[in-house]
Amino acid sequence: MSALTTKTSVRMGNTGESLAVELRAVTKSFGAGATAVRALRGVDLSVAKSELVMLVGPSGCGKTTLVSIISGVLDADSGVAKLFGVDWSDLSVNERTIRRGGLVSFVFQQFNLIPTLSVIENVSVPLLIRGVRMREAMERAAAALASVKLADRTKALPSQLSGGQQQRVAIARALVGEPRLIVCDEPTASLDGHTGQIVMDLIHQTARSKTDEDHRRCVIVVTHDTRIFHYADRIVEMEDGLLKSTLSKHTMDEAAHTPRFAPEPEEPGT
Amino acid sequence: MAAVRQAGAHTLGGMYKIALWMLLRDRGKYLALVCGLSFATLLIAQQGSIFLGLVIRSTGVLQNVGQPDLWVVDPSTRYILETRPVGDQFVGRVRSVPGVAWAEPMFSNYANVEFRDGTFKRVQLIGIDRSTLIGQPPEMVEGSLEDLRAPDTVLVEESSRPKLNNAKIGDVLRLNDKRAVIVGFCRAKLGFESNAIVYTTFDNAVRFTPVGRERVTFILVGVKEGLDREVVAADIRKFTGLGAFTPEEMTSRTIGFILYETGIGINFGITVLLGFVVGLAVTAAIFYQFTLENLRHFAVLKAMGARNSVLVRMVLLQAGVVGLIGFGIGCGPAGLFSLQGRRPGAELAPYFPWQLLLLTFVGMMVCIGLGSLLSLRRVITLEPAVVFK
Repeated sequence: MSALTTKTSVRMGNTGESLAVELRAVTKSFGAGATAVRALRGVDLSVAKSELVMLVGPSGCGKTTLVSIISGVLDADSGVAKLFGVDWSDLSVNERTIRRGGLVSFVFQQFNLIPTLSVIENVSVPLLIRGVRMREAMERAAAALASVKLADRTKALPSQLSGGQQQRVAIARALVGEPRLIVCDEPTASLDGHTGQIVMDLIHQTARSKTDEDHRRCVIVVTHDTRIFHYADRIVEMEDGLLKSTLSKHTMDEAAHTPRFAPEPEEPGT
Repeated sequence: MAAVRQAGAHTLGGMYKIALWMLLRDRGKYLALVCGLSFATLLIAQQGSIFLGLVIRSTGVLQNVGQPDLWVVDPSTRYILETRPVGDQFVGRVRSVPGVAWAEPMFSNYANVEFRDGTFKRVQLIGIDRSTLIGQPPEMVEGSLEDLRAPDTVLVEESSRPKLNNAKIGDVLRLNDKRAVIVGFCRAKLGFESNAIVYTTFDNAVRFTPVGRERVTFILVGVKEGLDREVVAADIRKFTGLGAFTPEEMTSRTIGFILYETGIGINFGITVLLGFVVGLAVTAAIFYQFTLENLRHFAVLKAMGARNSVLVRMVLLQAGVVGLIGFGIGCGPAGLFSLQGRRPGAELAPYFPWQLLLLTFVGMMVCIGLGSLLSLRRVITLEPAVVFK
């Protein structure tokens, strides 16, 4: 079997850029004619490196479409969508795919782990896609699993784990390739309050774990879960394909009534 | 960024492993795929081998006679089993044609062997020249060929023994109500109808099976050394008005007749085609289903940076692996069946040359290739954005 090698000439962007994400007048429609749906109607958004931004808003307001365009899995119809200084529209499909693999990782609501692969194999996948040799990929996957406190479950199948553990595996998978942008789509929606808090702690730590300018991570979280709002540096509210309002960390800190996770129920008799 | 740049430095062999793990660990679908392909392979290979065996068996008489350079027959003969005897005088005429070194008559017809219990068996009676024994069976197993020169004697093809009540040397057969003494057993290829073969001399044969004035079924001809067989055959045709063919021509005419003039070619061809279609349908359906169920995972791989070319190779690898395993497993029983069919006297006549194996392999690869086309299309056109749905 002939070995494959991946292309190295893809522009990875100017890491000296101060912005991780830069969107200007981005539009996106689905369908055509009378049934066309305008998912984004001219969105402007900037996200700094190491910023943890939450996108909130009602279902169908365009949050998922927006993160799809930010992460390069979907093309904008018009406008500019830049990630670390490079406009996605300047890249070919292959270049975009390779760039995405190098810079972006994902955490999904339904985890999206491959059920026939063990936990460690799932986590190693992003590295294998990049051409890292199996042994090295496994070593790095094991380290990533240890960082999410799952070092003892590396051989388990996803179906043998709880929802929270599966999401931690997904986070390990997202972290293993040292991404610059982590896109989380409703990461706590399938989890109970306590597990959701653990998962958000991990994501929050991830955003803060790199301090040097070239490696700082930006995290964008799409969520409806008001219990995790306090983790955000900024909350961007969307409505009907447009950004409606932005709530900064400073503003949130001043709001004493910011919703928190419900405390764990006390056991009877304690 | 360092991690990104590693992409060019290493291979993507790990992705092939991922593809194999995805396939092999999904036991239910993997087994269904392998079973479908094995069955299709078995159907194609086994039916193909029986078809070839039947075609080859139809040339049994030709294969059993090694000596002649030319077969001379009635000019309207279409294949070796469709014969119309010619008169004895034609043997002399053929001998007189320039370029003919020798020419001997051969008799071939059916006869009945009757048993004490009133039942009978049809046999293929072959009569060869008493003095030269040209047309003799390829191999003697028991007894002596020379004993055939004695009056009322016959040789019986070894595998035909059970059909003749496990006859042995010295036994007397009632052949078309005539007495025939078994003096030996020989090995020869059975004909198309798998009748027992009984050899005797030409004189005995025409006595056992009276056929009127035209008694010579074939005239076996040897061509003088250094002469072109085709030229001599043309001369025989010209001077005698009979048909003259090289063994290769006669084989080709016989196979052509079986293929095109009987329903055998079409019937077996349909079965082989059905095997292919079943294999294709089963493979395409199960493999497409397998891909559909993994589509989300392929989308995740795409979102994580796997290019279309990598995913296509992953799918093709999965298809190739189940194809190879299915082919291997399917060929096993087909091969065993073929070996079983090689037993002397076996009623079925599978013939399993390497060309058939190669053809079956190509057929299965085409099958799996076509079967995976739908899957490939889905994977290639897959939008990675579906990971968010």
